[in-house]
Amino acid sequence: MGTDALDPVIHAPARLRIVATLAALADGDSLSFTRLQDMLELTPGNLITHLRKLEDAGYLTSETTGNGRASLTSITLTRTGRVALDAYTDALRDLLGGLQTTNVSHSPRHT
Amino acid sequence: MQGPRDIDEATKAADGEGLDPREAASLLAKAERDAKRQFNLSPPWIAALGGVVILVGYGALWLSTRGQHPYSGPSPLAIVLVYVGVIVAIAASVKVYQRATAGVSGPSVRQQRVEGVAILISYLGSPVIQGAMKNYGASHAIVYGVIPAAAPLIIVGTTVLGIAASKADWPQFGAALTVVIGGVVAAFVGPSAAWLAAGIALGVGVAGYAAATSKRFGPALRRNQWARTHWTR
Repeated sequence: MGTDALDPVIHAPARLRIVATLAALADGDSLSFTRLQDMLELTPGNLITHLRKLEDAGYLTSETTGNGRASLTSITLTRTGRVALDAYTDALRDLLGGLQTTNVSHSPRHT
Repeated sequence: MQGPRDIDEATKAADGEGLDPREAASLLAKAERDAKRQFNLSPPWIAALGGVVILVGYGALWLSTRGQHPYSGPSPLAIVLVYVGVIVAIAASVKVYQRATAGVSGPSVRQQRVEGVAILISYLGSPVIQGAMKNYGASHAIVYGVIPAAAPLIIVGTTVLGIAASKADWPQFGAALTVVIGGVVAAFVGPSAAWLAAGIALGVGVAGYAAATSKRFGPALRRNQWARTHWTR
């Protein structure tokens, strides 16, 4: 099954879960890095790598306040990120709908 | 030991290469459902707990005052039962709120805090009216029956009604309207029946709100159903 229509930035297990989790928040709300890490059960290094890719694509922003051990990093899904997730979901739905149609048309007919 | 080829394959997998669209749909539905559940401020068990507290508390108040002539007020046991129930319900709600909003910041959290303060202030309305009524020599039935049963529902209910209207939160609006109507009814049915009317209105309001908000999680569940349907075909 072809996945070319799916946004490659979102179409990765960890990044898909990150975007879906942040999209569950109200528009403009942020989530701390530690809460996100707890929710997704990812290692800090792994999470940072995926967050950086999403941030480079403009899908999220991160802001760090405070210094040293008291520092807090908050992550926010941008409007672009929300739109990208909607587009990804639509593309996924179309792709799976097409697959279903193909399966139905290829299935043997009982007469 | 991990060779360079293994590392390369692991990186590709992490980047989504080989991720089947059906698998992606299932993953997306699960992530949405899990996130909504974790951020949910009013899980079904909180509504159930509220329902039990209302049933036991208002039931005890009504039973302890039923048939009193003249009206002397609820028994100390009923009052203790109500206070214990309210404390347990508040403690559980605070715990759920803290867990759901841990690490969350932004406009909606600030909005919720302001709403919380407005509701807390509105709770003061009932004791103020009670005090004023007592000061002006109103009867025991009014001061310790009708007012404490009806006034909180009307005052706090109206505050929540305004908040719900400003957010276009129609399930909350419906629940608050039910409670306000119950309060109005309670104000006119006598001191003992006022507790019964208040309990019924609160019970219906809480149950209706729980039913309506469980539908709010519909899109994620439906999408999951959609993912499952495509998986199994």
